[in-house]
Amino acid sequence: MEKKPKKIGVYICHCGGNISDYVDVEKVRQAVEGDEIVFLSKTTMFACSDANQRDMVDDIKANGLDGVVVASCSPKLHLTTFRNVSERADLNKYTYVHANIREQASWAHSDNKMGATEKAIHLVKAAIAKSHYAEALETNKIKAVKAVAVIGAGVAGIKAAISLAEKNTEVVLIERESEMGGRVAQWGPLFSTQETGREMIDRLSSQLKQHKNINLLTNSEVVENKGSVGNIALKIRRKDPETGAEVMTEITVGSVLMATGFDYYTPQQAEFGYGTSDKVITLPEFKKMIDSQTGAKLTHNGREVKNIAYIYCVGSRQTEGENTYCSRNCCTSTIHAAVTARQKFSHIQNYHFNRGLRTYGKQEILYADSLRQGDIYFQSYEDGLPVVSVEGKKTIVKVNDILTNNREIELEADLVVLVTGMVPRADNSVGSLFKLPKGRDKFYNEVHMKLRPVETVIDGITIAGACQGPKNIAESVNSALSAATKSYSIISKGEVESQPLVATIDPAKCSWCGACEEACPFDAILKVDKDGKTIAEINNTVCKGCGMCAPVCEPDAVDLIACSSAEIMSMIDALVTPNP
Amino acid sequence: MCLCGSKDNKMSKINPAFNKELEKFGSVNFNACYNCGNCTAVCSLSTEDNSFPREMVRLSALGLEDDIQASLKPWECYYCGECSTHCPQEANPGELMMSLRRYLTAKYDWTGLSGLLYKSLPVSLAAFVLTFVAVLFFANSVSYDLEKLLHFGHLFEGIAIGTIGLLILMPNVARMWYLTILKPGIKVPVSKYAKSIGELFVHMFTQKRALGCDDNQFRWFEHFILVIGYLSLLFTTVALNWFGTSSLFVVILGYVMSAIVFVVTVDFVGSRMKKKKEVSKHSQPSDIFFVVWLFFMGLSAFMVRLFIDLDILDSNKWMYIFHLTVLVQWALIIVPFGKWTHFLYRSFAMYFAKLKN
Repeated sequence: MEKKPKKIGVYICHCGGNISDYVDVEKVRQAVEGDEIVFLSKTTMFACSDANQRDMVDDIKANGLDGVVVASCSPKLHLTTFRNVSERADLNKYTYVHANIREQASWAHSDNKMGATEKAIHLVKAAIAKSHYAEALETNKIKAVKAVAVIGAGVAGIKAAISLAEKNTEVVLIERESEMGGRVAQWGPLFSTQETGREMIDRLSSQLKQHKNINLLTNSEVVENKGSVGNIALKIRRKDPETGAEVMTEITVGSVLMATGFDYYTPQQAEFGYGTSDKVITLPEFKKMIDSQTGAKLTHNGREVKNIAYIYCVGSRQTEGENTYCSRNCCTSTIHAAVTARQKFSHIQNYHFNRGLRTYGKQEILYADSLRQGDIYFQSYEDGLPVVSVEGKKTIVKVNDILTNNREIELEADLVVLVTGMVPRADNSVGSLFKLPKGRDKFYNEVHMKLRPVETVIDGITIAGACQGPKNIAESVNSALSAATKSYSIISKGEVESQPLVATIDPAKCSWCGACEEACPFDAILKVDKDGKTIAEINNTVCKGCGMCAPVCEPDAVDLIACSSAEIMSMIDALVTPNP
Repeated sequence: MCLCGSKDNKMSKINPAFNKELEKFGSVNFNACYNCGNCTAVCSLSTEDNSFPREMVRLSALGLEDDIQASLKPWECYYCGECSTHCPQEANPGELMMSLRRYLTAKYDWTGLSGLLYKSLPVSLAAFVLTFVAVLFFANSVSYDLEKLLHFGHLFEGIAIGTIGLLILMPNVARMWYLTILKPGIKVPVSKYAKSIGELFVHMFTQKRALGCDDNQFRWFEHFILVIGYLSLLFTTVALNWFGTSSLFVVILGYVMSAIVFVVTVDFVGSRMKKKKEVSKHSQPSDIFFVVWLFFMGLSAFMVRLFIDLDILDSNKWMYIFHLTVLVQWALIIVPFGKWTHFLYRSFAMYFAKLKN
């Protein structure tokens, strides 16, 4: 490619002494000042200082520079700083090139000053080589549809829908079941208000119905997904509950909020006596049992229940098995159920076989209450789990209790409750539709646990509630409100901006083999017909510029903007050419 | 690590209802314990090899009575109250240890009367009234003859000490030995019994282990003076016949000793009433009876001798009848079945602990 020679400025930073104590910055400057495009070169005590930034702006304007290279610290610290300097001097920010001679030279080679200086010269030369190619780039802007699809009408989905509707956004709330409410609607009294799950959902659903801009679709499933952030087309299959007839509808939204919930862990056959003793049930079964029975005595299979053994962490915190995570809500849920049972029925004695209790925050009050009421807690580590055995008509639970000097404790239980935790939905069809990434726990994964907790790497798709990992109601609602705000912020401006550092296809070289489509983790490659030829095309709003497609392209039709093959090759040349 | 000397690996039968039983002996809210172990960590008497009170709280919560009965730990605690002060759950481990001492006292007592008196205030009050009526009845039967009353009083002291000691206290100490040494199957060579006997007397007369409690020096000193005063007063009245003697030395000795007893007990009664310190916050009737009666003992003995010396006792026989009533109640209720027994059990516990070691 023929290019008209550029005029650039190069600034070598002392970083106080962080760089100049080991790297001879003046020698670096002298080594690069003769380059054909280097119009001016300077050393500076602190490149990032306000004074130097002002000088840079003046230099650029006075000399009509086309670009700037700063050799200083990591680009993570100051790439944006110097891009902004370029913009203030009326240059496009993508004309700026950064060289890292602190982390990669002075700090890494503080034992070898000569070598550090040599390496710094190479790094700056490589940056200048790249600067030859650095062009002005413009961000892509596309129109965003001001509507959000919320998938799953459990407590998280309902709260998210209401929150979005309050921001004057059109909401399509899609629920697979015939009624909204999800798991919570099936629960009895909740800690700590004692309101039942049903009552809470009824209250929310009457709130929801007041919003005209929420379109609730029950008996409905998303079956197809096209487009990208700002403009997502969903095909929804709706089943008529009476006739069984299926109707397809299509909607277009700007963002999708996933709130598809969780499944309960189902114990393996014979896991803690499950399936081998009729006295062994799971926590969800137990909760239903105490909610539905109204007599003075609790009965199971016609026999009175007095001694109840709860075995914690069944299907969670596994040492042998996939579920290594803690399911968070089950400790509190179990103690609440146990306390409820003790209050509702006579002669109940609760025995909790746990592995350390996690009734964090205010839930600790419940644990304290249960202790005062006389519940007994045994504790063991993962290498000494309780053993449930059936001896004749008796179901026996044994454990070596670490709270009693590892004494072997034996107990005949009328009922054994396996405290089963939350697992990801077995049916992940909707997740795979959006190519949502999963974490090691197989729940949907956020971009950053702390700083971007409801966004996914798929632009425009946010996650809320227990589909992201075990959560109690409060935590689900927290994440739902957060995801609603995030989804709203994506579409609220009416347009979506995307960064210009994306892949490009050379139509002359491409003859569609599909290798790039397979390699793309973001579904950004489209198969199109152009001028009678089938070729690949990049969806610029979806492409992240990751470069996965480039090395798999045999005819070398893929290039990356700002990281083109020619650019990278010229940088490598600069790096490997010995300094004179 | 084996627990409280239990000899076999038999499974433990849990009995959560035991907390109801312990509540009758004065325990407060110990179920709230979540086994953090702060109590054991702050206890200045607990050691790595012999740690409490958390372990005793745990055994109590599970209702493992055999282990509790085999344990000497309740007697090795001198109730400074630090554990209860530092308990984040307000589970009162200190009071639990106190309740266990009451419970063990009841378990050691073969007559079963200790348990009855500890658990029921009405029964205790009835016993006090009954003994009072008996004294009045006796005084009436001898037509309030002072000579006869004094003679009986002196005779009663000697007989009571012998009989109570032989029939109640010795068998009970033997039962304590059975529960803590023999039943758990601890083998102790006979020579060790002889070699360690010094431990018994040292602790009986000095209670020196209590000095290990933090900030307890003054309470220990008060207690030490009281024990010496009480034992000397006992010796002066029983062996030296204080009320009948003409020896000036004995008379003065008696005055001093009885004064020590009632003066020092004023502080003990006072703190039980004020309930400011952790140790006296949860005082049970048995604790109150013990210190109040000790006070009455010292004071009434002092007054009787004073009345004799002023020659006004004959015209104020009620004073002696009052003293005799206190004496009879002390000897028949508080000494054999009440808190007095801690004098024996604490020192024997130290002796047995030495044997077990």
